[in-house]
Amino acid sequence: MMTSFDQIRKEAKAKGKKRAVVAPVPAAMDFAALSAALAEGLVSPIVIGSSDALSSWVKGLGKKASEIEIIEEPDAMRALALAIDMLKKGEADILMRGSLDPNRFLQAVLDKEKGLLKERVASLVSVFDPPGVERVTMTTDTYINSFPSIVEKVTITENVIRLARMLGFDSPKIAALSAIEQVNPAIPSTLDAAILSKMAERGQFGDVTLEGPLDIDCAVSRRAATRKGVHSSVTGQGDIYLVPNVEAGLLMAELSVFIGKTPMACALMGVSHPVVLNLPFVPAENRVTEIDLAVLLCGRF
Amino acid sequence: MIRSFRDMDRLASEKGPKRLVVLAPEDEEFMMAVKKSAEEGYTQPILIGDREKMERLADQVQYDISKTEKIYEKSRQAIADLGISMLFSGEVDIAGKGQIPTAFIYRAIIREESKVGKGKVVSVISMWDIEGLDHLTCFTDTGVNIAPDYRAKAEILRNAVFLFHLLGYPRPKICVLSGKREINGDIPSYQDYLELKKAAAAGDLDSCEVMGVTSFLDIFCPGGKAFRLGDIDIGKADFPHIMLVPNLATGNILVKLDFALKNVRRRSLVMSSRGPVIIPSRSDFQDSILGEIAAGVTVAEQIKGGTAS
Repeated sequence: MMTSFDQIRKEAKAKGKKRAVVAPVPAAMDFAALSAALAEGLVSPIVIGSSDALSSWVKGLGKKASEIEIIEEPDAMRALALAIDMLKKGEADILMRGSLDPNRFLQAVLDKEKGLLKERVASLVSVFDPPGVERVTMTTDTYINSFPSIVEKVTITENVIRLARMLGFDSPKIAALSAIEQVNPAIPSTLDAAILSKMAERGQFGDVTLEGPLDIDCAVSRRAATRKGVHSSVTGQGDIYLVPNVEAGLLMAELSVFIGKTPMACALMGVSHPVVLNLPFVPAENRVTEIDLAVLLCGRF
Repeated sequence: MIRSFRDMDRLASEKGPKRLVVLAPEDEEFMMAVKKSAEEGYTQPILIGDREKMERLADQVQYDISKTEKIYEKSRQAIADLGISMLFSGEVDIAGKGQIPTAFIYRAIIREESKVGKGKVVSVISMWDIEGLDHLTCFTDTGVNIAPDYRAKAEILRNAVFLFHLLGYPRPKICVLSGKREINGDIPSYQDYLELKKAAAAGDLDSCEVMGVTSFLDIFCPGGKAFRLGDIDIGKADFPHIMLVPNLATGNILVKLDFALKNVRRRSLVMSSRGPVIIPSRSDFQDSILGEIAAGVTVAEQIKGGTAS
């Protein structure tokens, strides 16, 4: 299993250079992560958009500039459609969001017919590298689905398990979080967590241990769980945290980043190709890790 | 102004002892915390619970309760009802939850509130003392209301604003947290934020300010600029005093992240109209329970003596 972002970087570099298509670039954008990925030899970029927006970045790259393929298409949505088409035809490996807003970008990417959606729903996994923990941990869904139904939660669970396996977690331990550790019909997320837990017990998610509902103290602390009388191999040892809704997911991820100063990078799952979203709540230091993750996911969906 | 839990501990030992009714101290960690609170001069405890269990535990933690007032009762609801009625009648200054389901305590508080005609929404305020931040902050409601609507949220905020006024913050800043993001449009918690902002501006939430932010990203990166982890400085952020959570599951998950984060400590209480009820989590250990008792003592003192200066 991946022990840290450093290990993810090493494994990604060992994969060889991937073709990352960046689209659309109708206006100036922050190319820092892409420049770093280029310097590390992770990707060779194909940029679709307006060459005016690219000129200052390309100039600053020196010799590396020759590795960039630029396709002129000033219309944002047409540029994005072209990029998606390239992925489908195998002409590119990774899609990176350029300067289009996440809403319009995701609408196109997750379009059932023309986009890259592969599963019932896509979901975002926030991958953390917590200091003092000997492995990376995952929290999902931290962005895409606002208030997922149990049917959608099943897919979100399958999506994150797929990522975990790609990151070397053969038998991931999963905590389905809620407000309390008891099943209480008045709190619907406890019912969802219990259903997921029962499905896992019956082998419906393959080789995983999924415990739920768990409150966060039982999930992160074996000592706290024992005090509450909760005995499970997941308590204090969770690899994956499933959140009840996006408010919990997004805010938990942001709190871990801003108060806990925990490194975090995200991966979009449920799609046919790796997509780097470049979302605003990802720290600048970890944006290259998102490209590392995308490189690791290439050809494995 | 009470800026930290250390300030609270100091005030608790200076202004104590306060009368604390302890509801079912039937667990070693809890009994130890009660013992320490008496030793530190924070409290003069009154213990309600199962005689055999309380005596055995007191013995285990070497706490001589022979001169401590005790009321023997086994029924959980009867313990909750009696303890909370003692708080409302003024016999005690603070009530503290021990080994008793939280719902029993909330039910008892709601009943007493309706008797005194307040009909207050009962909510849990979980304070955080964050390293590097020069004031206290809190999450609310982290314990009672599963999916509060706008009206309930306004009441939840009033309870927290009242607490922060007592702690010496004349105009606390509020962040109404929401999972609103760039996609999927406005969600109900964001609509509530817009309404609460209007209500605060009109003076309907007492003296406070609803900030124009709904997430930690907004708080730390106004304007949505890229940020580096290494540059985050909580002391320089315009960090709120009160964070209203959108729902119970979110609140509970966020506030108990102190189990994972090393730079945060937590103390929770319910502000009833007659005084504080401290609500340790069933997973809390003696040091945090003692801290919660200190918080209760501090708030009881502020109620008696006005706001902290």
